[in-house]
Amino acid sequence: MKALWQLWRLPFRQMAVGAVLLQLAWLAGAVLLGCVPATDASLAGVAAMLFAFGAWFWFTLLGMCLRGLCRPESFLLPGFRQRLARMGALQVAQWVLLPTLAALVLGVPHALLGGAGLLLLAAIGLAASSARYISLVVWGVFMLAGWQPGLAGAAVKVLIASAWAVPLALLLAVLVASLGLRPLLRIEDRETDSSPLENAQLGRARARNLDGTPARRGKLGQRTGAIFDGTSQRAMEQALARYRAKPGWHLRTVLVRRLLLPHDNPQAIALRLLMVAAIVTFYVVAVMHRQRFNAAVVGAYAILLGLARFPQLGRGMRQMRPNLADLYLTLAPPTRTDYQQTLLDALVVLVPITVLSTVAYTGLGIVLTHAAEPARMLLAGAIVSVGASLTALAVHLVGPESGFGRGVVDVVVTVGAMAVYWGGYWLLGALGLTIGGGLLLLVTLGFGLGVWSSARREYLRRPPCFDAPLAG
Amino acid sequence: MSTTATAPATTFPATPNGPVLRVRGLRKAFKQREVLRGIDWDVPSGRVVGLLGRNGAGKTTLLRCLLGLSPTDAGTVELFGEAMTEPGGERMHRIGFVPQTFDLFPWMKVRAYLDFTAAFYANWNHALAGRLLGDWQLDPKQKIGELSQGQRQKLAIVRAIAPQPDLLVLDEPVASLDPQARRAFMAELLELMKAPGKTVIFSTHITADLERADADIALLRDGAIQFTRPLAELRERLRRAVLARPGGWTQAPALPGVLKATLKGDEAQLLVEDADPEGLQALAAREGATLRIETPTLEDLFVELA
Repeated sequence: MKALWQLWRLPFRQMAVGAVLLQLAWLAGAVLLGCVPATDASLAGVAAMLFAFGAWFWFTLLGMCLRGLCRPESFLLPGFRQRLARMGALQVAQWVLLPTLAALVLGVPHALLGGAGLLLLAAIGLAASSARYISLVVWGVFMLAGWQPGLAGAAVKVLIASAWAVPLALLLAVLVASLGLRPLLRIEDRETDSSPLENAQLGRARARNLDGTPARRGKLGQRTGAIFDGTSQRAMEQALARYRAKPGWHLRTVLVRRLLLPHDNPQAIALRLLMVAAIVTFYVVAVMHRQRFNAAVVGAYAILLGLARFPQLGRGMRQMRPNLADLYLTLAPPTRTDYQQTLLDALVVLVPITVLSTVAYTGLGIVLTHAAEPARMLLAGAIVSVGASLTALAVHLVGPESGFGRGVVDVVVTVGAMAVYWGGYWLLGALGLTIGGGLLLLVTLGFGLGVWSSARREYLRRPPCFDAPLAG
Repeated sequence: MSTTATAPATTFPATPNGPVLRVRGLRKAFKQREVLRGIDWDVPSGRVVGLLGRNGAGKTTLLRCLLGLSPTDAGTVELFGEAMTEPGGERMHRIGFVPQTFDLFPWMKVRAYLDFTAAFYANWNHALAGRLLGDWQLDPKQKIGELSQGQRQKLAIVRAIAPQPDLLVLDEPVASLDPQARRAFMAELLELMKAPGKTVIFSTHITADLERADADIALLRDGAIQFTRPLAELRERLRRAVLARPGGWTQAPALPGVLKATLKGDEAQLLVEDADPEGLQALAAREGATLRIETPTLEDLFVELA
């Protein structure tokens, strides 16, 4: 029972905020379903949506946790596979069986089909992190449905009416789940570790598991990783040559940057932007069909994408503590404050990189969606991303130690920055680019610099820490 | 089996040179658990000091506190005659450190890592680093993350030795090495020690290596350095007296200079400092026991005292 309890708690320990939100979604779905007899039957539809999204994301989260857990040593634990199976059964009972039974008892139409659909979504979510080609197939289905919406709608109607729909969904769920579980339960060599500060944005995503261990990569992932490693190798060699020729503070900072942020050299940044551009273009053109896009949304997504870098920075700085003892001895700083300052100097480059990435993503979005007001979007995106990245860097340097606290901070900073983008976009429209832009710059940069300078003071005041983090 | 222990004498031999390291009243606690309880310790220049202690005695904590890698709760540490309140710039380059867990930068290649580190040192011995890489079969093109634990430890040793430090601090540096690599490492260490003024603090459980290096032995127990003495002096002054009689012992016989007494079957085993053979014979006759006097090995001493 204890082992089962430990397994069940995994998502809460590794991604507390996400896990709590998804459980709340389940609770909200259950409450809505419970209200169906007393109110409108349409509430069942809302409940089904909540269960569907909840199950998909919850099982995706579960798959990510399992990816870190299923390492060779774990299989030596007594009854590991059986306990894993029991935990899976518990999860299916909560997310699929209970809602389906409740819907059947309450006489909700298509309850069985809904249950089978939930199981299929759960299986797809579980497979998302271990068998990514399944996600691609799902994408493909959505893409086809997008190209031929009439045909897709007719097919869905036929399926709903068919007696074969439920067994077909169940069979598919079993197939997808087994394809997703197979690589998780296979014993493989561990991947070589990358820098814990590694960029985990789109295009270089899933470099490591939730517990910080390096993630298994497919052949394509390994080749991409090798290209990025090649750029970092060349960047380090160049930085070394320049430092040897003319040692100085600036080149020393560059050298430390090449060590800590190996994939944030100009070549790697360009490569990453290209990859993101390719993926986003495919996504917008093929999957979302650009006419459905509100162009102004693109800027908010670009902010989201740009800031996605910082949560990993917070986690990475904690993971890196023992490694940094060696850097401390190597740099031989006169004072501890000098050492902290060196790290700050190295990391602050993430601000211009984030701004550049955000502007590039926004520009790409503008082209893809034929946005009517590109200058307004670019200006709002650029100004907000400066303040937001300064704030994100600041809070991750001196922010909370616990995983839950960091999760809350991530959500607040990201959602806040997206809201500020919307506000800024409106402001630019209302007051014009010059006055609106000036006001937006004053507010966001003032806030960002205020937070940054306070965090900087606090970081410099703190003694360096080289002890490995205990948990979270 | 019952055991009683007596605190060993804490007289230190006078040293001709000034200490490289001076520690006074060093305290360190993790939450409620006090690991170091007021350490007083002087390490003279030009010596190899073996730091012995059981698992959890606080050896790693002590070494990290000495180098400023872990904050202390109280006390002072002086390295090369200056307080360790701040790292002090180039002073850190006079120190080589091999940590117990080798958490370097696994995403870097061996050559890139050493080049990076060398760029910051004025006295980096490229020839020595190159030779050790070759001798210890470390591939410069391999990523650190792809190295085995033993290979990583070798790399950590290369990194620590190549700057030709005046003080080498080694936290169980040979734990993951095979016997050949251990011997090769000890040979390098002894070679390094030939230069004047070089000091090594060496935490290990492999007492044979300390015997090979003719080290001074410092024993960390109960959060304090119980003694620091040259190995030769320990060997000369400590003896194990085994008193055996039918029926055994209810309590250990009293004798001056007993550091530890162990009752086992018919035997009372006494670890005695500056044992007087005549006094021991008299004690044996008085107690109706037979007497056997043994010279304990360093490992025996570690087992008895730690």
